[in-house]
Amino acid sequence: MTAPQEELQQRARALLESDEADVVVGYGAGNHPERTTPVFITRPEDVGELVLNPFCHNNLATWLTRKDLRARYPRIAIVAKEPDIRAVIVLIQEEQIRREDVRLIGVRIDTPGDPDSPCAVLPHTTLEELQEHLKTEFAPRDLTPEQLARLEELEALSPTERWAFWRAQFDKCIRCYACRQACPMCYCDQCIAQMNQPQWIDTSAHPLGNMAWNITRAFHLAGRCINCGECERVCPVDIPLMILNRFLARQVGAHFGYRAGYDAEDYQPFATYKCEDSEDFIL
Amino acid sequence: MKTLNLEAQNLAALLDAARQNARLIAPVRDGGRICFAEAASPDDIVPHGDYVNPRNSIKEFFFPRSEPLLSFARTDDGLQVEGPDTEFPPTVLFGCRPCDASSLPIMDALYDWDYHDSLWFERRAATTVVSIACTRADESCFCTAVGGAPNGTAGSDLLLTPLPDGLLLAEVLTDKGQALVDQASGLFTEGTGDKQAACRAALDALPPTLDLDAVTRWLADNFESDRWPAFSDKCLGCGCCTFLCPTCHCFDIADEGGYRRGQRRRNWDACQFPLFTLHASGHNPRHDQAARWRQRIEHKFNYYVQKFSVRSCVGCGRCIRHCPVNMNIHAQLSEIAAASAEPAPQSSE
Repeated sequence: MTAPQEELQQRARALLESDEADVVVGYGAGNHPERTTPVFITRPEDVGELVLNPFCHNNLATWLTRKDLRARYPRIAIVAKEPDIRAVIVLIQEEQIRREDVRLIGVRIDTPGDPDSPCAVLPHTTLEELQEHLKTEFAPRDLTPEQLARLEELEALSPTERWAFWRAQFDKCIRCYACRQACPMCYCDQCIAQMNQPQWIDTSAHPLGNMAWNITRAFHLAGRCINCGECERVCPVDIPLMILNRFLARQVGAHFGYRAGYDAEDYQPFATYKCEDSEDFIL
Repeated sequence: MKTLNLEAQNLAALLDAARQNARLIAPVRDGGRICFAEAASPDDIVPHGDYVNPRNSIKEFFFPRSEPLLSFARTDDGLQVEGPDTEFPPTVLFGCRPCDASSLPIMDALYDWDYHDSLWFERRAATTVVSIACTRADESCFCTAVGGAPNGTAGSDLLLTPLPDGLLLAEVLTDKGQALVDQASGLFTEGTGDKQAACRAALDALPPTLDLDAVTRWLADNFESDRWPAFSDKCLGCGCCTFLCPTCHCFDIADEGGYRRGQRRRNWDACQFPLFTLHASGHNPRHDQAARWRQRIEHKFNYYVQKFSVRSCVGCGRCIRHCPVNMNIHAQLSEIAAASAEPAPQSSE
C-alpha cells in the first residue's frame, strides 16, 4: 500500500472514531486495476477498503446532496480531489450544504488516468485552508494545455462549422442523463428535462430534443461548472461536453472576472447584480 | 444444423455478397469508440479480434432509441393520421457477440406477450444476424454465469467461430442463415471445428457460474431487504446501464408537436429515472434510488423469470464496463446467491 493511501485511511478512521462523520464516502477497488468505485465507510475497522490512485475519478461531492443518503447519514465526509473541493464551494454558495457540515479529506491527483501519476493527501483540513490551496497551488493546473488547445481549436471554427460539429456530437446522445447524474452541480430535485406538464424539452433522442437538452444543461452550468470533467468521462457515447462547459467558463471569466468554486464568500455572477457589470453583450 | 468452414480471408467477400441486397450493420469506429452502425464498406468494419463487445448493443436496430408511431396533421379535409411505417430494409447484422444475439429471443417473449409488436417483429424478420464467437473475455463479461456461452447459438442465424488455423467454423442455424450462405456458397466448404477449444481462453476468463434459481428465490422473498440501500448507494440513477443493455426494453410514448401537426413517438425509458413511476397525484412508489435499483434486479432475475421463464440478462457486461461508478451486477448476484444459502433468510414482511 502506498503511503498517501495509508494516510487517507488514517484520516477517515479519525473522522469516524471522533464521531465527526457518520459516513466517509471514498473510493474502493473496482472490477479492474484501472477502475475504482464509490464506497461508503461507516465503521473505523473498514477504512482499509479506501484506495487512492490515479483512477479515482468520480466527483464525490455529488453524493453530498443525495437526500436518501443524508437521511441516513446527516454528517457526510467525502474524499475530495481538487475539482471536487471546488464543487463543495459552489454547493455552499448555493446553500445546498452548510459550511459547518462540510468534512473533507482533500486529495491531489496530478494526472488523473495516468497510472504513474503522483497522488497525495492534502495536509489542510479546514475549508479556508483548502480554498487557499486551490487559489495558489491548483489554479495554474486547473486547465491543462491539452484542454485549452482543444477549446481554442473549436473557437477557431466558423459558427457554421461549430454548429455542424455540435449537431453531429449531440446526434449521438441517447438521453441517459449520465452527464447530469454524475455532475455535482446538477442537484435539482426535478430537472427541467423531467418535467412533462408542460414538456419543456422533448424526451425524444432526435436532433431537436438532443439539442434542447444539451444546450439547456450547458446554460445551467455557465458560471457554475467546476471543470471536474465527469460529465464527459461518463458519457457512454463520448460527447466532448467539457469543450462547451470550458467555453462558457471562459466567457464568464472574461465578462465578470469570475471563476466558479474558488471562494465560498464570492457572489455568483448569475445570482447577483452589480451596477458596474458591463452590458455590452445585451442586445 | 449444418456446419461449414470459411477461410477468414474470405470474410470480406462474404460481406460484399451480403451487401448486394441488404444494408450492413457492423462494428465500426467512431472516434475512440467501437459501435454498431451502418457500414458503408466492408473495409470500415472493425476486425473481430479488436473488440470484446461494441459500446452499444444491437437492440437499437430492432428497437430504436426514438421512433415515430404515427404522425398527424389537421388539414382542410380533416385530421390526417399516418404511420407507422412497418416496411424495413433487408439487413445483415454482422459481428455481434453470442450474448447480444441471445437477447433477441428473450425480447421476443416480451414483444409478443399481450400485444404483438409489429415494429419489433418486422425488423426481426428483415434482419439476418451473423455473430462471431468470443475468443477472449474481459473483466466485465459474465455470459456463462447467466446461462450463455461465448460460442452460444441462441438468436443467431449464422455463427462464426474463429478456429486457430485461419479458418472460421460457420454454423448455419436458420433459413435466413442458409440464404446468406447461398449468396456466397463458393466461399464455404464442408467442414467442422472444435468450438470449445477455439473459445477456451474466453471460457477460462469468465467468472464461475451462479445458482440463479437461488437468486430468483431470494429476490422473491426479499423485496423489503435492508441490503437494497447498500447495493444502490453508489448508483447515480442515470440510464447508462439500461440504455446500453441489450435486454432492457422499457419505453415511453410521447406526443410532440402542436395543434396543427405532430408526432406520437416511442422513446427508450429507464426504471432508474424518477419520472418513470411518478403518478399524476405526485406520489412516486419508487421514491428513492434503492427502490429503482431493486426494480432493475427484480425485473431481470425474478419478474421476467416468473412471466417468461427466461432471465432478462445475457451477461454482456456493458452495465459494469460503462457504468460511471462501476456498479457490478455480477458481484451483487453472487452476493444474493450467497445470502440465499444463509440459514435464516429475511422474510418480506
